[in-house]
Amino acid sequence: MLGANGAGKTTTMQAIAGLMSWRGSIELDGRPLPRRPEQVVRSGVSLVPQGRGTLGALTVLENLRVGAAVRTDAAGVSADIDRWCEVFPVLGRRSRQTAGTLSGGEQQMLAVARALMSRPRLLLCDEPSLGLAPIVVQELFATLARINETDGTAMLIVEQNAELAMDLASTVYLLDVGTIAASGTPADFRADDAVRTAYLGY
Amino acid sequence: MDLFLERLISGLTNGSIYALLALALVVVFRGTGTLNFAQGELALFTTFVAWWLTTQSLPIWFAIAAALGVGFIMGALIERLLIRPVAKRNDMAVLIVALGLFTGLNSLAGLLWGSETKIMPSPFPNGESDFISIGGARLYGDALGVWGALIGLMGLMTLLFRFTKVGLHMRAVADNATSATLAGVRTSRILAIGWGLSGAIGALAGVLVTPLAPQQLSLTTMFSIFIAASAAALFGGLDSLVGAVVGGLVIGVLEAMLTGYVSVIGGSLQQTSALLIIVVILFAKPTGLFGTTKLVRV
Repeated sequence: MLGANGAGKTTTMQAIAGLMSWRGSIELDGRPLPRRPEQVVRSGVSLVPQGRGTLGALTVLENLRVGAAVRTDAAGVSADIDRWCEVFPVLGRRSRQTAGTLSGGEQQMLAVARALMSRPRLLLCDEPSLGLAPIVVQELFATLARINETDGTAMLIVEQNAELAMDLASTVYLLDVGTIAASGTPADFRADDAVRTAYLGY
Repeated sequence: MDLFLERLISGLTNGSIYALLALALVVVFRGTGTLNFAQGELALFTTFVAWWLTTQSLPIWFAIAAALGVGFIMGALIERLLIRPVAKRNDMAVLIVALGLFTGLNSLAGLLWGSETKIMPSPFPNGESDFISIGGARLYGDALGVWGALIGLMGLMTLLFRFTKVGLHMRAVADNATSATLAGVRTSRILAIGWGLSGAIGALAGVLVTPLAPQQLSLTTMFSIFIAASAAALFGGLDSLVGAVVGGLVIGVLEAMLTGYVSVIGGSLQQTSALLIIVVILFAKPTGLFGTTKLVRV
């Protein structure tokens, strides 16, 4: 999901996640989503908020366990913790460190891993690249693409860096003042000169 | 020497009570970010419940267990019915509600049970001869019992916060309520449990202190204890459980030594010395001695 500042990207994400009240309907697989954040998580939608929102005073492991708040299968939870510590090796290395002491990139990995702990069908990421070094962003996006492929987890990602987003996405939505101004495959977007000059700026 | 030891023992015993009530304050503060001014009066009310049950010739242990239960339920109900609706508006409103509860609970206790002083039985052996001698000082059974209660409670809380899902979720909500709720934590239930837990801890402090308190159980019993407990919680930085316990013990001992050795302070300036400690702490270290200046890298 692309769009200029103030287009309503974060608002859209927060509305889906249940962080604000809304009118109308938000549906997943044809079923309406509930309005309270913890119920949204229960229905299989998990948000990695802008600014990451890791729990700074808790350790990496504890953050991951909080991510499994809606689950009751203890064995599955432990298996998933092991899995994400392998997928994001830095989390494995720093599992007993408090999250507040991690670098920005490490915290972003933790935020994504924590969101995945609830086994979402849809993962929402609000500007995951914000404030990260380009190499870290590449690593993160490559991992997201791999998870999307192996687990079939759908992902809706807000991104300021249009080129980066279009490398990853199968569908691109362009948001402008609260409405979808254009949508299509990355190829469509790159081919459409009008959209490109008006919104992507190159 | 034995006089010093006796003062130390009495300071540690009072300090344990302050620590218990300070723990109750910290549990609420960590969850809601509010200093619950009604904590002391809630403890008073539940102690009256325990006393009333003993007058119905029920055993003291049953009365204490019931008081803890009532404390839990009242704490949780107060959060759900009175605090949560106003907490959305602003923090000052929460403070005002707590102050209202402070006077309200006190008056309610007076209305139900009258203002005359009650004798609250002790759950521990506290007769004239129930002591062991240490270096010439007498260590009474009820002092030992209070220490044991504090140590036991600390153990239980450590288990709760370290090893249970509810405890983990309580810490998550205390750290960042929005993040916790995004992770699927039932924040509202966790907050109610936190208030309930602090109500129960307060009740424990109340039933343990009243048999020791010079004025026994009256409508003013908990006030000075609440002042000292607030000082203890502040001493520890308001968000640290260990800090609350250390703070409680330090203030208890300081108070006992000051009133014992500095004749000007005597008995009547006891409360003032606790308040003085609060002021000194706030001047010297606004985050308290154990308060977390949050370590964050961005």
